[in-house]
Amino acid sequence: MPNVQSFSTLRARSYVFRLPLFTRLMVLAIVVLWLVGIQSAWDLRKWGALIPDEMNFFTAYRMNTFPLIHLNFLHALLNLLALTPLLERFESEYGTLTSAAMFFGPLTTIPAVTYVILERVIFRVNTPVMGASMWVFLLFSVEAVRTYKINPYFVIGTVHVPTWTTPLVMAFVTAALIPSTSFLGHLCGIGTGYLFGLGYLKFIAPPEKILRWIEGKLNLLGRLPHYVSVDQKTYGRFGVLPSNSSSASALFVGRSPKLQKAPPYISLLLIVVGVAWLFMLPMNDYSRRTYISENALLPGQVHTYFGGSDQNVLRAYRHEVGALENKTNTEVNDKLEHMFRSMGLKVGRQNYTYTTSGNTVAGENVYAILQAPRGDATEAIVLVAAWRNVKGEFNRNGLAVALALTRYFKRWSLWSKDIILVVPPDSRAGTQAWVDAYHDSHDSRRVADLPIKSGALQGALAIDYPQEERFEGVHIVYDGVNGQLPNLDLINSVTNIASGQMGMGSSIQHMFHHNDQYRDRLTCMLRGMVNQGLGHAVGPHSSFIPYHVDAITIQPVGQGWHDEMGLGRLIEGTFRSLNNLLEHLHQSFFFYLLMQKERFVSIGTYLPSAMLIAANFTITAIALWVKTGYAAKADTEKESKDIKEKKGVDAKKSEQTAEEAPAPVERELYLPLSLVTGCQFLGFVPLFIFNHAPASVLAPLFVAVTLLSLVLPHALSFFLVTTYQPTHQQYQLITSFFLLLLGMFLSTLATLNFSLAFLVGLLATPLTFVRPFPKMPAAGYAYSALLSLLNPGVVVLSAAVATTTLHGSGLGLGVVGVTPWEAIQKVLEEGAFGWGVWGMYTPLIFWCVWFPAWLVGSVVVLG
Amino acid sequence: MQPFSLSSLIPLLTFLVPFVAASAAPAADYHEQLNLKPLPQNSLLASFNFRSNTSLPEFEAHNFRFFPRSLGQILQHAGTRELHLRFSLGRWDAETWGARPWEGTKEGGTGVELWAWLEAESDDEADHKWLTLTNALSGLFCASLNFIDSTRTTRPVMSFRPEGDHPNTTMANMHLLHGVLPREVVCTENLTPFLKLLPCKGKAGISSLLDGHKLFDASWQSMAIDVKPVCPTGEECVLQIEQTIDMVLDIDRSKRPRDNPIPRPIPNYELKCNTTKSYHADDTCFPTDSLNAQEWTLNQIFGKSMLGKCPLTDSNVPPVCIQAPHTRDVFTSMDVTELKEPGNENQRCYLLPNNEEEFHLALPFMPRDGDHPKTDADEFVQPATPLLYAERSLTGHGQEHGGVQAILTNPSPDAEVEFVYMESLPWFMRIYLHTLKARISHRTGSDAGQSLRDDNDVIKEIYYRPFLDRQRGTQLEIRMKIPPGSTVFMTYDFEKTILRYTEYPPDANRGFDVAAAVITILPSNSTAMTGGKAARMSNLRTTGMLLNLPTPDFSMPYNVIIFTSTCIALAFGGLYNILVRRFVGRNEGPEVSLVKLRKKLQDAVQKFKGRVQERLGVAGKGAKKVEGKTD
Repeated sequence: MPNVQSFSTLRARSYVFRLPLFTRLMVLAIVVLWLVGIQSAWDLRKWGALIPDEMNFFTAYRMNTFPLIHLNFLHALLNLLALTPLLERFESEYGTLTSAAMFFGPLTTIPAVTYVILERVIFRVNTPVMGASMWVFLLFSVEAVRTYKINPYFVIGTVHVPTWTTPLVMAFVTAALIPSTSFLGHLCGIGTGYLFGLGYLKFIAPPEKILRWIEGKLNLLGRLPHYVSVDQKTYGRFGVLPSNSSSASALFVGRSPKLQKAPPYISLLLIVVGVAWLFMLPMNDYSRRTYISENALLPGQVHTYFGGSDQNVLRAYRHEVGALENKTNTEVNDKLEHMFRSMGLKVGRQNYTYTTSGNTVAGENVYAILQAPRGDATEAIVLVAAWRNVKGEFNRNGLAVALALTRYFKRWSLWSKDIILVVPPDSRAGTQAWVDAYHDSHDSRRVADLPIKSGALQGALAIDYPQEERFEGVHIVYDGVNGQLPNLDLINSVTNIASGQMGMGSSIQHMFHHNDQYRDRLTCMLRGMVNQGLGHAVGPHSSFIPYHVDAITIQPVGQGWHDEMGLGRLIEGTFRSLNNLLEHLHQSFFFYLLMQKERFVSIGTYLPSAMLIAANFTITAIALWVKTGYAAKADTEKESKDIKEKKGVDAKKSEQTAEEAPAPVERELYLPLSLVTGCQFLGFVPLFIFNHAPASVLAPLFVAVTLLSLVLPHALSFFLVTTYQPTHQQYQLITSFFLLLLGMFLSTLATLNFSLAFLVGLLATPLTFVRPFPKMPAAGYAYSALLSLLNPGVVVLSAAVATTTLHGSGLGLGVVGVTPWEAIQKVLEEGAFGWGVWGMYTPLIFWCVWFPAWLVGSVVVLG
Repeated sequence: MQPFSLSSLIPLLTFLVPFVAASAAPAADYHEQLNLKPLPQNSLLASFNFRSNTSLPEFEAHNFRFFPRSLGQILQHAGTRELHLRFSLGRWDAETWGARPWEGTKEGGTGVELWAWLEAESDDEADHKWLTLTNALSGLFCASLNFIDSTRTTRPVMSFRPEGDHPNTTMANMHLLHGVLPREVVCTENLTPFLKLLPCKGKAGISSLLDGHKLFDASWQSMAIDVKPVCPTGEECVLQIEQTIDMVLDIDRSKRPRDNPIPRPIPNYELKCNTTKSYHADDTCFPTDSLNAQEWTLNQIFGKSMLGKCPLTDSNVPPVCIQAPHTRDVFTSMDVTELKEPGNENQRCYLLPNNEEEFHLALPFMPRDGDHPKTDADEFVQPATPLLYAERSLTGHGQEHGGVQAILTNPSPDAEVEFVYMESLPWFMRIYLHTLKARISHRTGSDAGQSLRDDNDVIKEIYYRPFLDRQRGTQLEIRMKIPPGSTVFMTYDFEKTILRYTEYPPDANRGFDVAAAVITILPSNSTAMTGGKAARMSNLRTTGMLLNLPTPDFSMPYNVIIFTSTCIALAFGGLYNILVRRFVGRNEGPEVSLVKLRKKLQDAVQKFKGRVQERLGVAGKGAKKVEGKTD
């Protein structure tokens, strides 16, 4: 029986040539009758079809002729195609003689009579039927019943569908798909088939003795070509199943020693491909030019009118703001509130107090709502001008521009959304408090409620303009907390307006001189990935993004000829674009890596890179799991030797089987599971410590914890070896478990924060290849030393040292005039602040995913 | 107001010339008035009011005079006894502008709002008539009123009372139905049919000032149509139609010429600066314009001039009034009579001559400094404090749950305020009534700012009609009483429903508009007893809300089709494979092709070797020579 996958003309030919006799005759008969039916002199179909009303004793021949007569060529062809294999199967099982007897007798007449009776007595209609499809369904149900005995169900989802229903399903499908088929006729066939298959129609089969006698007397076997003997069924051709029931995985790894060795190489290949993949992305063929996906934005399509006498006002505001520089938060807010009120805006104020690392960050936000002149409070856009930017610089010009712009916006009546101007005292906690309270997800002990609110936030733009001089271009900061990104359309709009309409340069990721070549693209992308991976807030806009509010910060940079009015017009243009939006930005542009302001890769293209790295852990883990299920070769040989001593002769045999299939062994799970679980939970200790320790002790504490963590594997390993003496299999299981966890965590994380998953995955790759080195302690120590270099704490410390000493050359994180000690403290404070205020989960990944994996890996190496 | 003096002659005339009497209806009159009220922060409230009556028998005889025939026939056909239709845009800024015009009774929530009392024997009949009415009005006013289906229709129980005088016999059979379309954008296509209903149709009188450009550029505007029967004591009942347009104009914005509406920066020399600032210079200017005095003329702010008075009006009623202190300078065109009510210090009205000349009105600039400095008090009447401030917003975030918070403040220092708060929510906003909470906080007194009492004291009565999926929305009416100087925070939670694929509108990601809550302030007992005119109810509406529902990616159906097709293909393939495969023991079956191939190869090699050896055997020496050579 050929199936589609392995179709070959040769096999098909031989199949056709080997068709048994009765099948051939039937096929021939059908073909001949179809040919006869072509002529028009005599209506064969009227003569031979099964017409219920014309059935009587003299027309009983119809019961035998109707399956052989077909309506047209297609009907005949389809039925032949379906019938031939089934009939061949039947015949080769029961023999030619039996088949002939059955198909000229009961198997045709029973359904035919049933059909006629049903038609005439119950339905009282007269639908003539013809064609071999009744046989097809009959044989099909015989087969289905047989399958059902072996294989009772097939599973779709969680539903078990009995296999015997297949012919019924087929009948329904046929009735639905092919017009003018006789559903009733098919059902009669199926019914008879079921009865036959279940053995209720055994009695109608002609006695075997007689058939055999006839066969012997006439020497049919000798005379007729392709004749199938009655005895065929006694040969037991069917029902023999493979006696070996080992699973597929065992077949895969257990059997072949070559395959057993493959997983480490596959893992290595995945790592190499994953990394290489990332480096391919900046090429032209793998990245795309950006484009505006939301057509409603229409960036740069409006004239901007901010200018003229508004500049006089802006200068005055700058004086006003400058005079407030050294005032307290409350004084500043009082003054701002007065200014807002005189502009005719609604003003609100909000207090917040956060405590992290022993420091208290408190302040008061002031914000003003410019109600859309003709709108209803349903939607709003936010303009943020923080009093101080993330670096702590006084955002004097930014605030002045925001004030002058708001005053100018008030003159327009075209706003469809409210405009909210938020002035937080700092760029880190203030906006977070405001956004949290706006969405009612704040802790009201630390953050006060907002007194007035507007509608759903549709977008936010922050101005960060501390510099006094004119600027050359704008730097767009777009990373959100936890590496979430705003919709690419927003960045594209600003870039488009800045370069297309205003003639300003625009840049991202501190790449102010981007030559759009491979190297710069790669650097830009890697900087973006580091920012994304760290997951901290890089600007006042970052806090908006977790609430699905698209937000960016605009920073004027460089020395050029653009003044603050130009910045104002840029923001005006962007606000006009956002104002055009009918729907919230929703095109699937939230996952991207930008490598130049106008070039990006989308998630489908870059995700495989992190996924491959995560998969490398999983593959090794699964391979180790399968491996531990079988005794290693050395063990079996030992065992077989024992057997040899005991049983002598039998030994040879057992050795053979041992070679053929390794013996399954019990897995000892207790120790591996408890070790891996214990280490996983151990990670929560440093997480807790570093999120609650005061800032002054953070740096020494971190160094201490790092040193401790370097010693811990040795101690743990010593303890394990002395108390439990773990076997090789247990070490393998330990490795399998922690790699499985790591792979699972990282692949999940890759969908949330690609860069973090990639970076952690990359730094953890040596863990894939850990194994105990009992015979080569030197190798074990060398590997352990390598792992020590990749200790999470060591990595952070060396990164801190590197960025402070090699500032500028790194990934744009270089800090001038900071000692490594201060840098570490800063990083840790940022981590604790992020955890407490922004809801940043990077510390969790660090201490509860990476650290435990490293710890267990190091223990295994030392085992 | 007295009807025509002619009406007293009618009994006599009827006898002689019956058809004349029929046309000169006894109570048919027409009345129009524009009320201007300067508001703080450079705003101006303009209220247009048009009212005409027709007697009920005339109306039933299809005899329309001032009453618009198109509307009248619809009302008759749909058995409508009382009709209220509102078109509104923008929001009333109660903090700055104070109490609402007409006590809020002539405004609706954003979009279109319609409620009517229909005469019907049963609810089904009422629904049927309602359908007729909404569809007919939809055509008449170019609004999507036909989208007010059963899911948007409610039958308020406590919030609305008939405003007209209905005989008790009809009262029994009257059904109140209420529907809102919050998403409907009111625009100039609604104004045109509105003006067409007027007897002067915008050609003369105050309606000639109405222009779509200015009306829809206003900060807040509301168009209202009220039809109700009125039975003055001792007189014949009349059917009254009252059309109202209220708008708050931003004076600066309205003064911009129509051909140049862009708010370009004004020239430097026109900028009004605070010269007292130390840094003040030619190029630096701290603006003071927002506090500037109002200065406008009628033509400027409406972009049109008023073409005399409508000749159909009662000549005794002044068509234009302005509510400003008497110290405010107001200039008008010649031969206009200024009327000052002796009791009212803040109102002036203007009687126009009976000609078609343009009427001009100008409020000049009143300097705030100089010899006679003027103050805000000379500029405008300080707006009255409203009885209640209401604000409503959505709380929470995410795709699954949400909440609504309504902040209701009673600003009065000594009077309680009792009101009915009505929400009609769409069915896909499944509210949890058990989460309905009211916290109260006092602004004054020793317990200021603390939440003191629970809802039992504030919420007096709840009428709740739960939603039915896809059939009707939630109707929630709450009667509350807020003590003086207190704020009530009323909150409730709801769950967002995932809609069916086809139920999403084309702009699904925008969100779904939720209609404004209607607040009906009940006349307090004390004022009712003192017999003041405050026995009327007043209204208030919150702003609408935008509800974000979980929105699928709309390429989803194609993904589903592909996914299910794959599943079926796999299942069918597997099943077919099991059905037709013959399981054979390994030893019984033919050898696997690879082994076969290897054997064949081995055979071939063997054969080749044999042949080579044969040949070597035949030509022994020669071969050796060759071998030697290769060495």
